[in-house]
Amino acid sequence: MVNYESVIGLEVHMQINTKSKIFCECSTQFGLEPNSNTCVICTSQPGTIPILNKKAAEAVIKTGLALSFNINKESIFARKQYFYPDSPKNYQITQSDPPLCSKGKLSIVIKGEEKVINITRIHLEEDAGKLVHEIGSRKLDYSLLDLNRAGVGLMELVTEPELNSPEEAFEFLSELKNIVEYLETSECNMEEGKMRCDVNVSIRPVGQKEYGIRVEIKNINSLSGVRDAIAYEIERQKKVLTSGGKLIQETRLWEAEEKMTKSMRSKERALDYRYFPEPDLVPFELTDSFIEGLCKEIPELPRTRKARFIKDYGLTEYTASYLTSTKIVADYYEEALNYLKDKKASSKLLANWISTELNAKFNVSKISISESPVSCQNLAKLVSLILDGTISGKIAKIVFDEMFEKSSDPEKIIKERGLVQISDKLIIVKMCEEAILESTKAVREFKSGKEKAIGAIVGLVMKKSKGQANPQLVNEILMKILKT
Amino acid sequence: MDEILKVKADDLCKKICSGEIKSLDVVKAYVARIKRTNSKVGAFLKLNEKKSLEQAACSDRKIESGEKCDFLEGIPIGIKDNIMIKGESMTSASKYLENYVSPYDATVIEKLKSASAIFIGRTNMDEFAMGGSTETSAYLKTANPWNVEYIAGGSSGGSAVAVSAGMVPFALGSDTGGSVRQPASFCGVVGYKPSYGLISRYGVCALASSFDQIGTFSKDVRGSALLASVMIGKDYRDSVCEPIEQINYVNYIDDDSNLKMLKNVKIGIPKQLFNYRMDTEISENFNKAVNKLRFLGAEIIEIDIPSYKYVPALYKVIMCAEVSANIATFDGLRYGYRSQNAKNLNDEYAKSRAESLGYEVKKRILFGTYVLGAKNYHRCYNQALKVRTLLINQITDAYRKCDFIFSPATLQVSVKFGETLLEECDIFLIVANLTGLPGITVPSGFTNSDMPVGVHFMGSRFSDVKLFQIANAFEKISDFDVNKYPEL
Repeated sequence: MVNYESVIGLEVHMQINTKSKIFCECSTQFGLEPNSNTCVICTSQPGTIPILNKKAAEAVIKTGLALSFNINKESIFARKQYFYPDSPKNYQITQSDPPLCSKGKLSIVIKGEEKVINITRIHLEEDAGKLVHEIGSRKLDYSLLDLNRAGVGLMELVTEPELNSPEEAFEFLSELKNIVEYLETSECNMEEGKMRCDVNVSIRPVGQKEYGIRVEIKNINSLSGVRDAIAYEIERQKKVLTSGGKLIQETRLWEAEEKMTKSMRSKERALDYRYFPEPDLVPFELTDSFIEGLCKEIPELPRTRKARFIKDYGLTEYTASYLTSTKIVADYYEEALNYLKDKKASSKLLANWISTELNAKFNVSKISISESPVSCQNLAKLVSLILDGTISGKIAKIVFDEMFEKSSDPEKIIKERGLVQISDKLIIVKMCEEAILESTKAVREFKSGKEKAIGAIVGLVMKKSKGQANPQLVNEILMKILKT
Repeated sequence: MDEILKVKADDLCKKICSGEIKSLDVVKAYVARIKRTNSKVGAFLKLNEKKSLEQAACSDRKIESGEKCDFLEGIPIGIKDNIMIKGESMTSASKYLENYVSPYDATVIEKLKSASAIFIGRTNMDEFAMGGSTETSAYLKTANPWNVEYIAGGSSGGSAVAVSAGMVPFALGSDTGGSVRQPASFCGVVGYKPSYGLISRYGVCALASSFDQIGTFSKDVRGSALLASVMIGKDYRDSVCEPIEQINYVNYIDDDSNLKMLKNVKIGIPKQLFNYRMDTEISENFNKAVNKLRFLGAEIIEIDIPSYKYVPALYKVIMCAEVSANIATFDGLRYGYRSQNAKNLNDEYAKSRAESLGYEVKKRILFGTYVLGAKNYHRCYNQALKVRTLLINQITDAYRKCDFIFSPATLQVSVKFGETLLEECDIFLIVANLTGLPGITVPSGFTNSDMPVGVHFMGSRFSDVKLFQIANAFEKISDFDVNKYPEL
């Protein structure tokens, strides 16, 4: 049986994170009343002319710089022509050759090994509007047009066909998403369509130099969808070839619910887009100093930050990975850390609280850290309360539950519910004496040399104190009493 | 004809401002003239009588109360029907936009509004400015006022006729391939196309974006200089618009000094001009013009621009390519004509366009689509871009030897309705669009059958001031009488 290898290339569209659209002054805000974010330019009224939003171009250049791209100082816009209702001009303003950014790269880690993926280009273009075919569950026998998204800036990134498995594609996209989120040049939210990915997949017998027949997959709406669609498509292509069939160059759609790809159109019906230079916009003339200026605006990127977290804060690889997996989590961590006096003593404990307790809450409640009811200041307070012995780790979890539920201040919760740790020796001695009287069996065992038996007595003291007794003190005092 | 109608634009401004003439009397006279003559020449598609009279009265009150006059206070002006005026119809003489109402003002309209000009009416044109005769208008034929059996030229034929026939002191047109200057010459008025990027294109229904410029019509050069001064300048809404000094061209127009200027001027005449067939009377008139300029001290130089022979093909390829994309937005979905007979989306596109667009428009869309197709792009469109660069280089070289390039405005006099003009008729005008240079046509005389002829000066980029100066000097020595009006 022939062994096949798969060859995968990605085309990623990311909505550029700017307040206004790329060629007019309309807002880019998501989820508004249909056609409320429109004007004479983005609905293509006669006589209107696009005007470039410089911020959009800056975002693309910044992204390019972060991914080691060459920035083309003289690039132009082009018109890509096709008739479709979501594109009011019936052409899209995009870039042909040269794009703003050529030849970049991104390294991913696969099974512990680093692999560099070359990226062909990133260019600037405008998004299309949306056609609506149903209202709620009611299918319409006509279509409605919402142009809120028409003219929102997009950056399109195209990789070389250098990815060889669904996992590599997944890793590439995750890493890309992470970097772009760090740059804040796109929100990369796949659910809101702010990041979209088309995939080119082909397979060839291992050792063969020529590429196999390429299939393009569209309509993928999540990162895991990319992985699943590629995995499905590779298997489908293998089946076709091993059963003696022939593949055709075509575009297929990923049907997420059925978990399969379906043919949309074959190459014979490929469109001729009749590209030509956009006469309404002047060519870019970027200066070195402008590009250098943008270079300076690039923040610390995830890999560097992770290394710094491990080095400066003594975190484990695992915890540092989690914390730097998105910029917002890493920012949350460092902001919280800033509220703590002794950073060295608290950095690990704080990191663990974020990566375990807080993370678990997010998973259960299905909210993201940006909506966290626990502010970084309050989490920092909780950690310092644990460190200075005001509350035990156990009590801290109770306090934390309430902090998450009510967004409240941990000090206030502790005060209101009287959860302050009991460290008063006289009170603890009294409780220990009571407990010893009630635990004759454990006492006997302890005295006969089984020191572990003390655990049961400690447990009883903690129960009596409703968990508030300082466990270390309880231990010390019990030892003292029992040994005299 | 009412004497008030013969007052030239610049004088009219001064007289209204000083209170010597009432704006209301001026507007009334023009309204009466339009009403009396429009049925004969078909210059206007729409007359804004009521609003214009109201505005005129308003300007008069302002002047009486001693308030400062705006630049074009109370002066009526004709606007080509492809320029957006908020709340008004804008048909571009196409059935497609029959019921379209402008949701915004073009930049030039904003500027004219703040100069307190009065938009007296909308002038006829070729459909979407595609044509050179105003015969492709979906609504009206426009006749040459000097002989109504002859065409006015185009595409801004309505504006040319309106000025020529004394229906307005001046008017706006748009010039993509001679669309202001050719009808101006056919009708015996001054037609000016600015340097590309001097006046904002925002709000002009696009024909070929690389070439489109708003231009002016007036009886005399001074009038065009006045009108242009109001409109020039950087506009953030049109990124090809260049930042230039805001000046009043009229201040640079002075008959004596402009005539003296001729002593230090080098005028280039392309030797390629003589390769073309030219109406004898045009040729004679042009030679006379050259001799007059020489007599007043201008140095006449022969220049060599071999690429002139490619101009018609070059223009057609690039213009049609841009047309095919620009007109694509007229799809029947968001505004404009929508077919009632369509069965599905593609059918709707096809039928809406087929039923509402004229023959010339369809022809250009098809040709433009063809030259941009994957199979033809390199040998047609891309080749045209290269030749355009060649032409620009040759012209740039020519300007090292001369200050202006001089030619007849057109190689033919206006023709009768239904007759077609030669392809080369206006190539000396089209060159200005292909190269982004300013050009102005000035009437230079009449044929034996009393049809006007004109000459064309083309300057280097942004030398518009000097262009007005030489045009004004020529006007003073021209055989054409600016005080003569066609009898209607």
